[in-house]
Amino acid sequence: MANEDNNNRDPGKDGNGAVGRRTFLGAAGAGAVATTFAGCLGGEDEALTIGHLAPMDNPLGVGSDRTAQMAVDEINENGGFDGEEAELLTRDTRTEPSEAQDVTEELIQQENVDLLVGTFNSETTQSILDLTAEFDVPFMITGSADPGLITDFVGDDYEEFKNVFRIGPINSDFQSESIADYCEYLSELHGWDEVAFLRDNAAWTEPFGEHVPDLLAERDIDIVLEDALSIEIDDLAPVLSDVNESGADYILRFFAHINAGEMLGIWHEAEYEFGIEGIHVAGMLPVYHAATEGAASYETTSQSGAAGVSPITDRTQPFVQDYAERYEGEDEPPTQAPMYMGFNTYDGISIFGEVVDAIGTTNTRDNLDEFVDEMLEIDFTGVAGQISFYGEDSDYPHDVEEERGDDGTITNFPMTQWTPEGDIECVYPEQHQTAEHQMPHWMQ
Amino acid sequence: MISTILLLGTILSTVPGRIEDVAGSVRRNVLLPIGQTLDRLLAPVDRALQPVADGYNRRLGTYFGEMTGLQFALIFGALIALLTAGLWAPLVSGSLLRTLALASIWAIFAMSWDIQSGYTGYISFGHSVLSAAAGYTTALLLVHVNPELSLWITAPISVLAALVLGLLIALPSLRLEGPYFSLITFVAVLLFYRLTTAFTSLGGIPGFSSPDVFTWDPTMRYYYMLVPMLLIALALTFMARSNLGMILVAIRENESAVSAAGINPTKFKIWSFALSSIPMGIGGVLLVGFTGNVDPHTFVIVDNSIEMIAMAVIGGMSSILGPLGGAFLFEFLNHEVLHGFSTPVRYLFLWGLVLLVLVFARDGLFRMIWHRLGAVRGENE
Amino acid sequence: MLGDIGTLVLQGAMISAIYALIAIGFTMIFGVGGILNLAHGALIMAGAYIFGILVRETTVSWIALHPAIAFPVTVVAVAVLSWGLYQVLVRWVEDNVVITFLATVVVAVASTELVIYLFGDTPMGMTLISGALNLEPFGINARPRYVQFAGFVVSWIAIGLLWFYITKTDDGRSILAASMSERGAQLTGVDLHSVRAKTWLIAGALAGIAGIFLGSTGSATPLMWLNPLALAFIIVVIGGIGSIKGSVVAAYFIGFLEQFTVTFVGQGFRGILSLVVLAIFLLYLPQGLYGREFVHD
Repeated sequence: MANEDNNNRDPGKDGNGAVGRRTFLGAAGAGAVATTFAGCLGGEDEALTIGHLAPMDNPLGVGSDRTAQMAVDEINENGGFDGEEAELLTRDTRTEPSEAQDVTEELIQQENVDLLVGTFNSETTQSILDLTAEFDVPFMITGSADPGLITDFVGDDYEEFKNVFRIGPINSDFQSESIADYCEYLSELHGWDEVAFLRDNAAWTEPFGEHVPDLLAERDIDIVLEDALSIEIDDLAPVLSDVNESGADYILRFFAHINAGEMLGIWHEAEYEFGIEGIHVAGMLPVYHAATEGAASYETTSQSGAAGVSPITDRTQPFVQDYAERYEGEDEPPTQAPMYMGFNTYDGISIFGEVVDAIGTTNTRDNLDEFVDEMLEIDFTGVAGQISFYGEDSDYPHDVEEERGDDGTITNFPMTQWTPEGDIECVYPEQHQTAEHQMPHWMQ
Repeated sequence: MISTILLLGTILSTVPGRIEDVAGSVRRNVLLPIGQTLDRLLAPVDRALQPVADGYNRRLGTYFGEMTGLQFALIFGALIALLTAGLWAPLVSGSLLRTLALASIWAIFAMSWDIQSGYTGYISFGHSVLSAAAGYTTALLLVHVNPELSLWITAPISVLAALVLGLLIALPSLRLEGPYFSLITFVAVLLFYRLTTAFTSLGGIPGFSSPDVFTWDPTMRYYYMLVPMLLIALALTFMARSNLGMILVAIRENESAVSAAGINPTKFKIWSFALSSIPMGIGGVLLVGFTGNVDPHTFVIVDNSIEMIAMAVIGGMSSILGPLGGAFLFEFLNHEVLHGFSTPVRYLFLWGLVLLVLVFARDGLFRMIWHRLGAVRGENE
Repeated sequence: MLGDIGTLVLQGAMISAIYALIAIGFTMIFGVGGILNLAHGALIMAGAYIFGILVRETTVSWIALHPAIAFPVTVVAVAVLSWGLYQVLVRWVEDNVVITFLATVVVAVASTELVIYLFGDTPMGMTLISGALNLEPFGINARPRYVQFAGFVVSWIAIGLLWFYITKTDDGRSILAASMSERGAQLTGVDLHSVRAKTWLIAGALAGIAGIFLGSTGSATPLMWLNPLALAFIIVVIGGIGSIKGSVVAAYFIGFLEQFTVTFVGQGFRGILSLVVLAIFLLYLPQGLYGREFVHD
């Protein structure tokens, strides 16, 4: 009961976030009865607080929480945020919009946070955009890639939503392009040029459904099977049979809601002669190879930060080592490297530190214009890549800019592959590659 | 193997018997004396308040039920507390006004569920579909017709949509026996969920963010939710105390007797469903104004329907005001008292509480308190 | 075309076998006590998770049983869990149909939270038997896994044992008697309470088997109780309340119907046709194929 925020699954850390603003008086029995008193009401200026929002049942959120704490600790120790120490408050959004709204309102109205960072699935992000805009709280999205979160809000009503930035990942319009380039790489490497294009029948895959077919056609790659699968699907065997019949060289799939564990299991046991590529959110879990008992071997997924296996910038590997040293002893995954959201959250808070130093105040809510102007000036070397933001007049205002290599292809959306030994290798783009893409052993 | 387990079972099943003995002696030696002391202390208060209550009983008692002095004090006190919450709630906890506003919306859902399921005994597992119908209608009107439509236009249409969908579900399914009815409403939610997640025109999983909230000011928002809730409570209490309510209870107790008396039970069951759909629609409209987002998770999922039922059960089914109290208790526990625990722990605790109430206090906590207060002077109601 | 039909028969038969396991326990409990056990799906989920914990090396490091040992252990564990659910909760409320209903649905919802609390929401995969059979040389476009064959065989063994128990042993005949007429059974000296407890035990064992196969063909997730429950309900309505034979027939009917939809109509329409059939049955043949009209008193 004393641990008032939701960090209680993380007792090893320095306890900075454990003292909430509110005090509990009188807890009886097993903590069932408690009376809450507001420590302070009204808006007097107080210590700097940063609110972090993530699903804490999910390793993705746990990793993000840990990196947020790392960023806050580092800056606090190195002179602080414009001289001030910040306090990190993490709240569990689950993956439920109503829960997210609930905790966000608490962070904004009671804890008076000066920055909100996080949110994973697009529906929770969407549900709190209005709220953050209403109170002019800077909000850095670090987990959702839906372009609509930018175009339908800050793109549509700039003045209202200018508090919203996306630190990463790059939005799905750019992701489509990057994936198409990846397909070209596969075509050159293995001669794979027939694709079965499968996706969740859900809003987040629509940009892919819209762009990927054209982009592949431009690259002379044929789609031999295309389907948007119901997210309630519970028998994937017929789908695999269809893919097999279509003669596709690989499945290009975009799964976040569909539990693809069954698909991977059948794929391995039946030794189907095609690869499984694309984006698979569950496949980014560091424990996923173990969770599927090895059935994840050879599947690929793209993820910003490339799970920390590749030196994307000079800072990436030191950051991952530092993370591993801190959290190796924890029970709860991820202990070796945070998942993609953790990379972005760490960068977001680091950028926030730079920006408040530059504008000379941590009271961002009353100085939003200065904050926004300074954000747009940023060209920051983060752990997930080089970060800068699109300006007001672009198609994606305040969205993170994609990085492009010398040949013009996008480089900050790396692709990783599970090896049969349960390691992760970065297989694309070539700048960040740690190993070449492998075909399943039964195809080699 | 089976016989060993059965043997073990016989041994174990004597344990509850022992527990009953212990519970019995606890009841005799601890609870009863406490109750008697309370009775002795409260009886004079009750007597003192009786004249005020009598004044009410004479004027309104026939419409809303008669009360004793203490019962009147409870209702009146609770009403004053709710109406003045804008003043005192921020002093207790910064989030309390939000919790109370949310509780008001859920109280509407729980009471609406009660007038249909609690009274007739035809348990609906699908009530979230009705509020969802209203919420989605509002969102679809704003998206497809005109984003500037005023609430005065969208709200009535949305409530009407809830009513229409309610009748569409009720007409074929209420002819069925109780368990079939429950399961078909259960399937209705699953189907509705599938539709909303599968079709982009229905918003898919992210849903619609186009509706605006009524206001972000916590105090004003609370009253926007509270006032309709109190009016609905008044209206539903009135109906429940009328002949209609009596017929509904009679259907639950003995449906064939109702038929034998020349009353068509199906007609009344459909009536109760319609009566329930309208406030569900109003609650749905309020929920849109509360969250500003219409998505399957906030509106449709079967857990929502089960939460309404849980609230009604905690408070006491078939009493309208019981579910109201249950909703406030549930939300208060969830968002204030258990605030520090992680979400699964909070819900495990709450579901555990619901199970305890179902086993040990079937009539619900608030109905229990109510009858206790009514009987402090040793009279039966 | 011929290949399609081959695929259809094969996949349909294997999936239907699991559906039968899901539905039989549900129908037995409904038949004997008039109780709709909405926690039936939760018991299936328990089967998947318990089996997962027992066979996997990573969940609890010091237990990693061979699947052949973990299988019976899981089945017994779920049977005891089911029986415990009856003894601890249901028997105290079973006199009231509505309360029983609510209590079991609350158990189901709480089970999701418990699983999230214990294991998080990451799907848990597990292996019973690995490997698959390539039938393409025989003109059938499918590579069924050995675990699916095992599911089919185990399902029929379980059904056979159950049939033998219920028709050939005195113990079992008392269950049959109680499901036909409780009063009649009581008059002939059947102890209703112990009959019901036995029913829950058997239903739990079947749910455990179903859970193991659902977990090892796909994976265990915190919400995996929902779809099997809906399925059990659909099958039981079509087959007729309380009729084991009806459940088996209806399970195969629904299984083949779904495979037919997937093969010839489209993946997206999979569940919808079953719901249409359900609606038709509820409205025109509510007693189902082999059932009696459900009387509640």
